[in-house]
Amino acid sequence: MVASGLFEVWIGAFFTLAIFSFLYKDNPFYKFAEHIFAGLSAGYYIGLIWKSVIIQQLWIPITNKGEWSLIIPGLLGMLMFARFFRKFSYISRISLAFVMGNTAGIFLVSQLHGLVLPQTQSTMLSLTGDGFVETLFALIVVIGVVSTLIYFYFSKEHTGVLGVTAKVGIWFIMISFGAHFGFTVMGRISLLIGRVYFLYNDWILGTLAMFD
Amino acid sequence: MSIWDKIGRLDRRWIYLLVAIAVVLPLIVPASFRVYVGPEAQQLFDAVEALPDSSVVLLTFDYYPSTLAETEPMSVAALHHLFRKNCKVLTLTTVPLGGPSIAERVTRKMAKKYNKMYGTDYVNLGFKANYVAVLKGLGSSVESIYPTDNSGTPLAELPMMADIQNYGDVDFIFVVSDNGIVENWISIVNAQYGTPIGAGVAAVMAPKFYAFIASGQMTGLLGGMKGAAEYEILVGEEDMALKGMAMQSLVHLLIIGLVILGNVGFFLGRKKEEGI
Repeated sequence: MVASGLFEVWIGAFFTLAIFSFLYKDNPFYKFAEHIFAGLSAGYYIGLIWKSVIIQQLWIPITNKGEWSLIIPGLLGMLMFARFFRKFSYISRISLAFVMGNTAGIFLVSQLHGLVLPQTQSTMLSLTGDGFVETLFALIVVIGVVSTLIYFYFSKEHTGVLGVTAKVGIWFIMISFGAHFGFTVMGRISLLIGRVYFLYNDWILGTLAMFD
Repeated sequence: MSIWDKIGRLDRRWIYLLVAIAVVLPLIVPASFRVYVGPEAQQLFDAVEALPDSSVVLLTFDYYPSTLAETEPMSVAALHHLFRKNCKVLTLTTVPLGGPSIAERVTRKMAKKYNKMYGTDYVNLGFKANYVAVLKGLGSSVESIYPTDNSGTPLAELPMMADIQNYGDVDFIFVVSDNGIVENWISIVNAQYGTPIGAGVAAVMAPKFYAFIASGQMTGLLGGMKGAAEYEILVGEEDMALKGMAMQSLVHLLIIGLVILGNVGFFLGRKKEEGI
C-alpha cells in the first residue's frame, strides 16, 4: 500500500472509531465525525447534481444541441426557489403540481400493474395442488392472507369467528415481524463486521506491512 | 438482588463488548461455519448461467457506502460470474452518495482481473437524479437519460453501446441494492418492459422480496451477507462475505443466548412479582 492510500485508511479508521465511541457515551469526537459527514454529504450531493443534471441534461443540450424546449423544465425548476421568498412562495406550487401529477400518474400504473395485481394473483392458489407439501404451503398462504386482511378490517367488532380469525392474523403478523427482526440483526451485524474487518485488515495489518 | 435482577439491570455496554469480542475473535482464531446455498441464490445463479454468450446484463450499484459489507461482495461475485460468461456488462446507480465511485472502483478492478476492455466489454453509466425518470426513460432510450458515461465520454463513442438502445436490448437486470429502489425495478421495469430481474439486497429488506420470488416477478434473491456468501460459493470465489460468515454465526449464537437469557429473567421476575 502506498503512503497516500495508508493516509486515507487512517482517516477512515479515525472516523470509524469516532462514530463507534458513541456506544460508550456521547463525546466531542462523535459530534465532530457526525458534522463532517453531514457537511461532506451535502457538498458532494450538490456537486453531483450540478454536473449530472444541470450541466449534462440542461445546459449542454440547450447550448450545444439547440434543444430549446428544455428551457420549460429548467424554468419550472427555477420556480422552486420562490419558496425562499414569502411573498412569491405560491409560485413554486406550479412546479410542485407538475411533480405531483406526474408522480401520481406513473405510480398509479406501476403500483397497480406491477405490485397489487401480480401479488394478489400469486395468493390465489389451487388447494388441490400437486402433492401434500404444496397443498399445505398453499393453504398456509391462503389462511395467512385472509386472516391478516381480517385483522385490518375495523368496520365490525372482532368477536366470534371474526375475532378468532383476526387472532390467527396476529400470529402471522408476529411471525413476519420475527423474520424481519432476524434479518435486521443479521444486516446490522454485517455492517459491524465490515468496519471491524476494515480496521483489522486495512488499518492495523496495512500499517504494520508498511513498516515491515 | 438475585442474578436475574442483575441481568435485567445489566449496562448495555457490556453487551456491546460481548458482541465486539464475538466479531473480533474469529479474526484472531480462524473458525469456519458451513454455509448452505439456498434455493433463491441458486435460482439467481442458474438464471445468469443460462444466459447465452455475449448477453447484455444491466448490473446496478444502488447502494450507499454504509452497507458495503453486505452489498459489495454481491457485486463482486456477480461480476466474476458475468465476466466469466463473456456478458456485456452495463452498470449504473440511482444512489448519489458513493454509488458512482463504488461502481467505477469495483468494475475496473474486476475487469482488470478478467482482461475486459472498457467500452467494448463493459460500460459504467454512473448516476442520474430522479430514479423514476431514469427507470422509465431507459425504456425508451438509454442515450436520452445518459448522454455520456460516468467519465463524460459520449455513448456514441463506446462500441458496446451501439447495440444497446433500451430495455429491449438488455437480457437480464441484476439489481444490487440497500434501499426500496428494487420495488421500482420490479413494478416499473419488469412489469412494464418484461425484462427479467434478479436482486441482491441488504438483509434488512430481504424478507419483503420473497413474495416477489413466489409471484415470479423476480428471478432469484440474495439476502444480506449470507446471500453474498452463497453466491461466492456458487461462483467458486471465496471472498469477504464467506470470511464474514464465521463472525456472523458467532454473533448470532451470542444474540440467541442473550434473547433466551433475557426472556428467562423476564418470566422468572414476573413469577416472583405475582408470588408477592
